[in-house]
Amino acid sequence: MDYAVIGTRVPRVDAREKVTGTAKYAADYSLPGMLWCKVLRSPVVHAKILNIDTSKAERLPGVKAVITAKDFGGWTWGFMATTRDEPPLAMGKVRYLHEGIAGVAAIDEEVAEAATELIKVDYEELPGVFDPEEAMKPGAPVIHDYRPNNVSVEYHWNYGDVEKAFAESYIVREDRFSTGRVTKGYLEPPASLAYYDPSGSITVWAAKQSPYFHYRHLAACFRLPLSKVRVVQPYIGGGFGGTKNDSVAGDFCAVMASKKTGKPVKFIYSQEEELMTSKRRHAMITYSKMGATKDGLLTAVQAKVIAEGGGYTAIGPLSMYLAGASIAIPYKLANFKYDGYRVFTNNPVCAAMRGHGITHTRFAHDLQMEMIAEELGIDFMEMRLRNAIDNPKPGTVYRTVNDVTLNTCGMKEALTAIKEDPIWAEREHAPKRVGSTSFGVGISGTAYVGGARQLGHQSCAAVIRLCEDGTANLLTGATDCGQGSDTVLCMIAAEELGMKLDDVVIKRVDTAYTPCDPGSYGSRVTLLAGQATQIAAAEVRKQLAEAAAKTWNAKPEEIQIRNSVVSLKSNPDKSMTLENLAKIASYSGSGAVIMGKGYSSYGLEPLDFKTGAGNGGTSYSFTAQATRLGVDLETGHTTVTDFLLAHDCGRPLNPIGAEGQNEGGAVQGLGQAIYEEFIIDQGHTRNSTFLDYKMPRSTDIPDIRIIDIITDDPNGPYGAKEASEGSHVSAPPSVMSAIHDATGIWFKEQPVTPEKIVKALKEAGKWGK
Amino acid sequence: MTTFYRRLPRFDYVQPTSLDEALSLLGRYKADAKPLAGGTDLIPQVKGRDMAAPRVVVDLKAIPGLDAITYDATKGLTLGAMATIANVERSVLVREHYPMLSNALTTMASPQVRNRATVTGNICTAVPSADSAPTLLVLEAVLKLVSQKGERLVPITQFFTGPRQTVLTYDELITEIRIPSPPPKSRGVYLKLSPRKSMDLAVVGVAAFVVRDGETCKDVRIALGAVAPTPIREARAESALLGKKLTDESIEEAASAASSECRPIDDHRAAREYRCDMVYVLTRRALTQIKEEAL
Amino acid sequence: MKEIRITVNGKPYELSVRPWATLLEVIREDLGLTGTKEGCGVGECGACTVIMNGKSVNACLVLAPEADGKEITTIEGLAQGEKLDPIQQAFYEIGGLQCGFCTPGMIMSTKALLAETPEPTDHEIRKGLEGNFCRCTGYTKIFESVREASRKSRR
Repeated sequence: MDYAVIGTRVPRVDAREKVTGTAKYAADYSLPGMLWCKVLRSPVVHAKILNIDTSKAERLPGVKAVITAKDFGGWTWGFMATTRDEPPLAMGKVRYLHEGIAGVAAIDEEVAEAATELIKVDYEELPGVFDPEEAMKPGAPVIHDYRPNNVSVEYHWNYGDVEKAFAESYIVREDRFSTGRVTKGYLEPPASLAYYDPSGSITVWAAKQSPYFHYRHLAACFRLPLSKVRVVQPYIGGGFGGTKNDSVAGDFCAVMASKKTGKPVKFIYSQEEELMTSKRRHAMITYSKMGATKDGLLTAVQAKVIAEGGGYTAIGPLSMYLAGASIAIPYKLANFKYDGYRVFTNNPVCAAMRGHGITHTRFAHDLQMEMIAEELGIDFMEMRLRNAIDNPKPGTVYRTVNDVTLNTCGMKEALTAIKEDPIWAEREHAPKRVGSTSFGVGISGTAYVGGARQLGHQSCAAVIRLCEDGTANLLTGATDCGQGSDTVLCMIAAEELGMKLDDVVIKRVDTAYTPCDPGSYGSRVTLLAGQATQIAAAEVRKQLAEAAAKTWNAKPEEIQIRNSVVSLKSNPDKSMTLENLAKIASYSGSGAVIMGKGYSSYGLEPLDFKTGAGNGGTSYSFTAQATRLGVDLETGHTTVTDFLLAHDCGRPLNPIGAEGQNEGGAVQGLGQAIYEEFIIDQGHTRNSTFLDYKMPRSTDIPDIRIIDIITDDPNGPYGAKEASEGSHVSAPPSVMSAIHDATGIWFKEQPVTPEKIVKALKEAGKWGK
Repeated sequence: MTTFYRRLPRFDYVQPTSLDEALSLLGRYKADAKPLAGGTDLIPQVKGRDMAAPRVVVDLKAIPGLDAITYDATKGLTLGAMATIANVERSVLVREHYPMLSNALTTMASPQVRNRATVTGNICTAVPSADSAPTLLVLEAVLKLVSQKGERLVPITQFFTGPRQTVLTYDELITEIRIPSPPPKSRGVYLKLSPRKSMDLAVVGVAAFVVRDGETCKDVRIALGAVAPTPIREARAESALLGKKLTDESIEEAASAASSECRPIDDHRAAREYRCDMVYVLTRRALTQIKEEAL
Repeated sequence: MKEIRITVNGKPYELSVRPWATLLEVIREDLGLTGTKEGCGVGECGACTVIMNGKSVNACLVLAPEADGKEITTIEGLAQGEKLDPIQQAFYEIGGLQCGFCTPGMIMSTKALLAETPEPTDHEIRKGLEGNFCRCTGYTKIFESVREASRKSRR
């Protein structure tokens, strides 16, 4: 492909602002006369709220407003019409520790903090339940009356004939796998500056990766038309799903306080508040039964997945869909049964996080496949290659038993790239043991959905406005929360328009001006906002070509624009700057306004959560990963030295960005695999600081190499698919596979901490040996 | 906790320019005053309301000479109370004469914290996992405690009384840590085990220090961090080696003794059994390293 | 209130501060230099790293009165007009940033590291940045940015 901009290594369009410290984040905004808001939280995990006495707090000098649940008139929110179970502040009942109880707005943050101490709340404590399997049992404490069995989401899917397939299998294994309680770990805590102005409109500068979620929440909560809700987006200090998709107690309290006082109101959560209270990944238990033939070909999978949901439903229906929908990729599978249960507990609320849903079952099944391969005496790479879905011939699709359709699949090519790399090919020549450290190499082969969709609004949109000097403004509601989409979208616009990259300018999302967008989740922005941008740019280009054609008495098809220079294909002497053409086009007649708009159309296919049939996105990325590590057989410490990822993202549009996303995703996956986990005891999180929630630091990470597998998917701009969630999903099974290689032990629970390794080594009689 | 504070509570700040002035402030305010060195522990503690807000914070950094690091072959090393971890860690004197101390300090926190925090502060904080403590215990440091009433010298072995508790009274300051010159033919090693390689708390810290006479251990000192309410010396492990050669067997015996004697807690950071096992592993490793280092 | 005199990015200030205010609050709120970020407020994340009298510190752990008489450099003090500092330039070119929230602190730690160790080894780079979390990049491109900054600074 001959692209001028796409595929080149360009700095991020926001890099200059970010390296100079001029990029403004939500906490950096303030307004004259602004108040500060602080949330009072519950000290108990499950209780009836008998009374809230705010009178003392209201009398504290400097306090301007105190907000409680009654201010919101019973409004609740949630992912689906049937699951709107979460109030802005605890309403009548507390369901997890530190749920928001009240908000105080005061002249400064110190006064707001002090005032929270003066609010008296009477609780009647209720017995709690903290383990999802316990919560499902009859007689367990009920967390929501509308779900007396505590099951917040439940799916039962059945494809093919699992029973028959197991009966005919040469080998069948049953194992229990589990993933830990992990969180996003961005550095920027939730923050917002809110102003409910005298005209009855809301403006917020809020740290939201999906600002249109928040826009809808605020309109519904404050019973305003959407046209009166304006979310202006600052730079976002990391997203990774969960909290920054949604709204938090502070958001609602700040707007309500602004409405009550007529002043702008700001809040910033503390990092500990974020770690204690905000939405995190589900922890899931997967009971998996897998069958295979003597040759290692998979015959059937039966997965019962039980997810800890915490106190509210949040985006759980999608989480449970994703956990099941990915079972038949990236390996051929004719029969599978999925029983998914998301269960309420009195723990903090679980929702989306990078690798959403899919990471749990892919971890389980990739590992279980290796376990079967071991029993059958088949090389782990060979096992995967035998089962991997082939790349469909151009123009054809591969259809899984549950109607997931793949236009491209680089799984085999990615596996082969790993197979041929010295890290795998020469692993037998590398040292196996130095002192007490045993080295191991492991692999994984996983898939992830890109261009993800939820039910309802799916399309991204873009508007391109040509300026009369030949530069352009790109408007989209799609958010760059760090992943680099603003840069990619500008590259796409520049490519299509034949413009210099610097001449395309994108600003932050502003719901008053940018087109509505579903949000930045599920690796969707490059694909869907990218397609929208491509279409919008093509529309502008068409108008430009028509103007040039008119000027030169030629046909529009004969006009070419490249690097901001316009010329005639047949006669290169005919040329002018794009600036010149823009002037001609803009000033023609009474003055034309050159604009283009586009919206995405990929992925608008049937999708059914109830049956699990269909596509949850536009396309699928495939990742093969090799991990080399050493396990200290005495201390149980794992030192990961190398990650090699062969990743099929269709085509990297900005290679720097795609590499960075894959590197970051893989390291976050490493954290989940061996370092990170919330320790929650009876609903109380014991490690709510960065000291004790162990995210990898600079000294903990491996050397990372990335191999791009180019498959050019038809359902993505320039062939692009997703990057980063795939590498996030590939890391844990690959690390577990390597730990198994080093220790001979299968670890089926994440994270594999040193302590767990020592315990297992002791049980196996291998400790220190 | 029901409020997650971002702001410090109100307190006053004073910066005495002489030791006398500092001591008189502490004498006057007693429990209402908090001496401030690097602040890397004090500020988070006060911010999180884990510690009651002091009425006044007494910043000791303007007292002349309190950050000195001096060495004398007979008196040994003297660390002024305000000597930062970074300065001690990098001191040529410390690197030459007390490499184990320098190495122990390198394992602590981050450059930013080491630039502010002091060794004395790490000791006064008195958390069981304090990284400088096991090393100072085996080096038999002596602390100079000063108040308006006078001064006293307290061996570090008698300083800690419980988690975040010491013999230091409200009106007293440590002004110096004195570390005797290591005897000839001595070697020391500190090993720290933490989940991450940086910015992490020791799950177990082991310091071992051996003085040899020929091949015989004529003095053995072993100290453990994070396995008891305070950093401790491990007498049984020490006596297991005393008068013996460092061999795989004698080391094994000492390591087992250390492991069976320690009384760690079971918490979210590590289980008791794991900590005991790691005391064994680290003690053995530290002693083996000493054995293998050429004298 | 306490009166303090500080020099920030070469500019002297006389300020009246609350004794319990942190240097971070003074920089961000009193001086309006919001490039220095607050990630955790307790010295764990490094987002608030500034250079005080030549040494990197967590501004959240320094009381405002402690900064009296000190010279402080924040992220806003590195570029000279339009010209980026070689470290900023390296992060910009290599892509050692994504969301950008850790970036000011990361760059200030790099500044302190390279001032002391102009040609750091890989281990020294990792150790020099051990107090700075990055959740987006997986650090890989940050290390490369530091190596590139070291090359640029020596040119």
